[in-house]
Amino acid sequence: ESLDDSQVAEVCAAAEVIRYEYHVLYSSSYQVPVLYFRACFLDGRPLTLDEIWRSVHACYQARLLEGPWDTITQQEHPLLGQPFFVLHPCRTYEFMSSVLTGSQKEKRHTNYIILWLSTVGPVVGLNLPLSYAKLSAGKNTNA
Amino acid sequence: MTDDKDVLRDVWFGRIPTCFTLYQDEITEREAEPYYLLLPRISYLTLVTDKVKKHFQKVMRQEEVSEIWFEYEGTPLKWHYPIGLLFDLHASNTALPWSITVHFKNFPEKDLLHCHSKDVIEAHFMACIKEADALKHKSQVINEMQKKDHKQLWMGLQNDKFEQFWAINRKLMEYPPEDSGFRYIPFRIYQATTERPFVQKLFRPIASGGQLHTLGDLLKDVCPSAVTSEDGEQKTQVMIHGIEPMLETPIQWLSEHMSYPDNFLHISIIPRPTD
Repeated sequence: ESLDDSQVAEVCAAAEVIRYEYHVLYSSSYQVPVLYFRACFLDGRPLTLDEIWRSVHACYQARLLEGPWDTITQQEHPLLGQPFFVLHPCRTYEFMSSVLTGSQKEKRHTNYIILWLSTVGPVVGLNLPLSYAKLSAGKNTNA
Repeated sequence: MTDDKDVLRDVWFGRIPTCFTLYQDEITEREAEPYYLLLPRISYLTLVTDKVKKHFQKVMRQEEVSEIWFEYEGTPLKWHYPIGLLFDLHASNTALPWSITVHFKNFPEKDLLHCHSKDVIEAHFMACIKEADALKHKSQVINEMQKKDHKQLWMGLQNDKFEQFWAINRKLMEYPPEDSGFRYIPFRIYQATTERPFVQKLFRPIASGGQLHTLGDLLKDVCPSAVTSEDGEQKTQVMIHGIEPMLETPIQWLSEHMSYPDNFLHISIIPRPTD
C-alpha cells in the first residue's frame, strides 16, 4: 500500500539530517590527495568516531571492520588546526596505480582527482554525480 | 667522549615536573588537592595521566565526570602532541613546576581530538610512525615489519621500556649503505604565534653535491624568520627536547638521535626571553 503525502512527510521528519563538510588536501608525505571531513547534526553537535564508522555505507563495512583504526580516524587539520575525520591515505597509491595503468593502456583520458574522489568519496557519503565524468567537447582523448 | 647512544637515552628519559590542579568550576564533594607528577617528555598526556584522573575523580560525583582534558593558561593542550613539545612550545621559559589545569566538563570539540581509549593513542602513534617511514624509506621498512614488531614499538612507549622500543626502532633509523641518509627527513616546525598549527615540507638530508644539510639549512628553507635576524637581534629560539641545538648540526644526525618515538623531529620556534 503506497504512502500518501502526509505519511511521507512524517517519515522524513523522523530521519536525522547531518551536515558534511569535505576538504581535499595533498599529503606531501604520501604524495597523494587526502580526504578530510567533518559532520554534525543540525543542532551543531558533532558526530563521534563511532557514529562516523556506523554511517559508512554497508558495502564498505567489511573492509572498515578489518581495520577501523587504519581507515577512518579523527586527526588535526594541518592548516586549520581543528579536529576532522580523515580517510587514511596509505593505500591510495596502490589502488590509483592499478586504475591508471589500465586507463593508460587503453589511451583513455583521465582526471586524477575525479578518479580518486569518485573512489574514496562514497565510503564517507560523498557521491560524485556522473556529470563529472563527461568529457567536454573537443577534449583530447590521449591520457 | 659521549657516545651518540647516550643522546638516545637522555631524550627517552627526559622528564618535566608538573602540578595538576582541578579547574575551579568543577563540582567537587570536598576540596581537591593538586597532584604532582614527573611527565615523560616523549609520551602523550592521556597515556600517562591515569593517576591524575583517579586522584580528582575521588572527590567528584560520577555524573560530574566526563572526558578529561587539560589546559595551560587558557589554551587547551593537544594530547596528540608529545608532552615535551607542548612544554617547549607553551611554557619552556617559565618557572617549574609546569602548572596544568584539569577539566572534566565542556570538552572543547573545536580544538581537541577525542581520546576515549588507549586504542586512539596507539592508532595516532602508529600513524605518525608510518608517515615518518613513508618519508624516510617509501614505507619499505615499516611494511616489511610484522604486526608484533609494530606492537613492540607501542608497548615500549606505553611501558617506558627503552631497550624494547629501540630493538625495533633501530631498523627505522637505518638506510641503504649506498645512500648517506634518509630519503626525506620527518619533521614538523611549530610556532605558537601562527594560525597554522605546524609547517611540514619535503626536505632532503643530503644536498645534490653530497654535503650534509644542517638544521640551519632546514630552517632557512622552511622558516627563514627563525634564522635571519632583523635589526641584528635574534628574537627567537629554536628548541628541540628543551635544548637549542647548534644550527650547524647535520639534520640527518638530528633525525636519527633526537626524533621523538614517533620518528618525527618536533621543533619549536619560541620567543627568546628578554632578560
